[in-house]
Amino acid sequence: MAGSVLAPAPPAPGTKAPAASQGRLRRALSERRTRFGLLNAAPVVVYLLVLFVYPIFSTLLLSLKSEDGGWTLHWYADALQGSNLKVLLTTLRISAETSLLSLVIGFLLAAAVSRLKPLWAGLVMVIVIVPHFISALVRTYGWIILLGEHGVINNALTDLDVPGAPFQMLYNELGVVIGTTSVMLPYTVLLLYAVMKGIDRRLPAAAASMGAGRLTIFRRVYLPMVAPGLVNAGILCFILCLGYYLTPALMGGPKQTMVAALISEQVMKQSQWNGAAALGIILLLLTFAGLLLLRLIKAVSETAKNRGTS
Amino acid sequence: MIALRSTVTGRIALTVLSTLVLLFLALPIVLIVVTSFGSDAFGSFPPDSWTLGWYRQLFAEGSKWPAALSLSALVASLTTVFSLVLGTTAATALVRSRLPLRSAVYGLVLAPLVIPQVVIALGLFLLFEPAAMLGSPIAIALGHTVLAAPIAVMILMATLQGIDERLEDAAASMGASRLTVARRITLPLAMPGMIAAAIFSFITSFDEFFISMFLSSVDTTTLPVQVFNVLQFDVDPTVTAVSALLIAVAVVALVLVALVRRLGGSGKQEGLLPTEPAMGLSTGSEAS
Repeated sequence: MAGSVLAPAPPAPGTKAPAASQGRLRRALSERRTRFGLLNAAPVVVYLLVLFVYPIFSTLLLSLKSEDGGWTLHWYADALQGSNLKVLLTTLRISAETSLLSLVIGFLLAAAVSRLKPLWAGLVMVIVIVPHFISALVRTYGWIILLGEHGVINNALTDLDVPGAPFQMLYNELGVVIGTTSVMLPYTVLLLYAVMKGIDRRLPAAAASMGAGRLTIFRRVYLPMVAPGLVNAGILCFILCLGYYLTPALMGGPKQTMVAALISEQVMKQSQWNGAAALGIILLLLTFAGLLLLRLIKAVSETAKNRGTS
Repeated sequence: MIALRSTVTGRIALTVLSTLVLLFLALPIVLIVVTSFGSDAFGSFPPDSWTLGWYRQLFAEGSKWPAALSLSALVASLTTVFSLVLGTTAATALVRSRLPLRSAVYGLVLAPLVIPQVVIALGLFLLFEPAAMLGSPIAIALGHTVLAAPIAVMILMATLQGIDERLEDAAASMGASRLTVARRITLPLAMPGMIAAAIFSFITSFDEFFISMFLSSVDTTTLPVQVFNVLQFDVDPTVTAVSALLIAVAVVALVLVALVRRLGGSGKQEGLLPTEPAMGLSTGSEAS
């Protein structure tokens, strides 16, 4: 339907004969193009400056303001002390555990998928992608039904007379890591799958033909090729976990309080805006550090690649 | 990999492992859908007997769900409009024009996807609280647009990049005005992308929880906030049916996007999503 509208317009024959007039047209267009671009970029830039950059900037200011209006760093000192520091460390720990687990599981799945025939690979990727678009809240609830004390898994285990069942899998770190991993997994699978598909399969084959063992091929040929992708996916996953609220809040106990939960508690229950702002800025700085690391690793791996080819 | 492929045990192990992983992803979702039709709302799987009672209760008198549902629908519709307007103009600027500071603009547009949502939500809270706009559907929609617009921009950028610019030039060289070109050439070709952007914006807002939580007031809560409150604070078996409905909405949205892509037939099949936020980030930095 869409294509038929412009079917009568023949683009190809006209390009050669009136080249001069088209050149003039192009020049005229290109002058207007800058203005046109600015005009079109304005809405989104203004929007994000007002509703994204400015709010973060005012959060920064708030985190530096003391109660009497002067400047202070004591909200940061508060945030890096006692129970707040503990929450921060918990956040880092859970994020690390989750990214590591999603990386391992994602690696296995992506490796398996990259070897499937295209049709099957497409089907598996649908199973990976569709959950990603289903609200994380709903998926977390699914995990609560699964892992609860009288949940599906524990019921099955007690029916099978597994010693020790029912297990405590909810409201502790195990539950949080399982739930958060299932939320993060689509990211790592997609990122790693893209990397693995790009690998030249002749290289491992060449190594095999030269007599390299399977383990050697994996360690010396395959792993170096996917390593940048693994690091990339791991860091990205870590960053996304840092500010994550939902699953830890629903599936964790008091010991699994993460920074996002602390911030929302300080805002909603204690009206402790300055402290919340300081925590938010710390989270932001950690994110920036992660992004910077990503860029750095990319630059390093690119120079390494260039050196390799020259 | 050819060497690896040959071992039968290796293949079996990998198949079993990946089946387990797929179960890990799909099971919570399947479980909710099945449980929502069971007479015992929490557990016993498969259910002993089947019922539609939970769905009926959703819309029964005194239920708090219809209000939350209509608020969510309103907010998501507003977000879709905002995000389409911003997305169309921004994608045009980034793809079809000479833009000074292009990479800075592109970076700004992508930034909301990596910045922790709690930081965005806190900032918006600090912005709207003094203005007494907490709980207003407009405020929530404005907040959701911060997250939805980048996705729309990325979808529409991919769409515009897929449209042969010579078609537009040809029309322009034959005397069509810029507006005519946009209306008669670009818009029809970009329609599948526009629809996909609209659907993803809608679903982003419809499922969004954290910003809604910060910006909602006691008597205006969106559907996800309501679900969260029920899960955290009280026991309400109808929440399973609501969750199943949320799953249905997402699945319908994805099917629609897939259909539009297929019908639009822009040549190559790009899969369900060219716009996976994380993917966009890792590849996006190359484009800038």
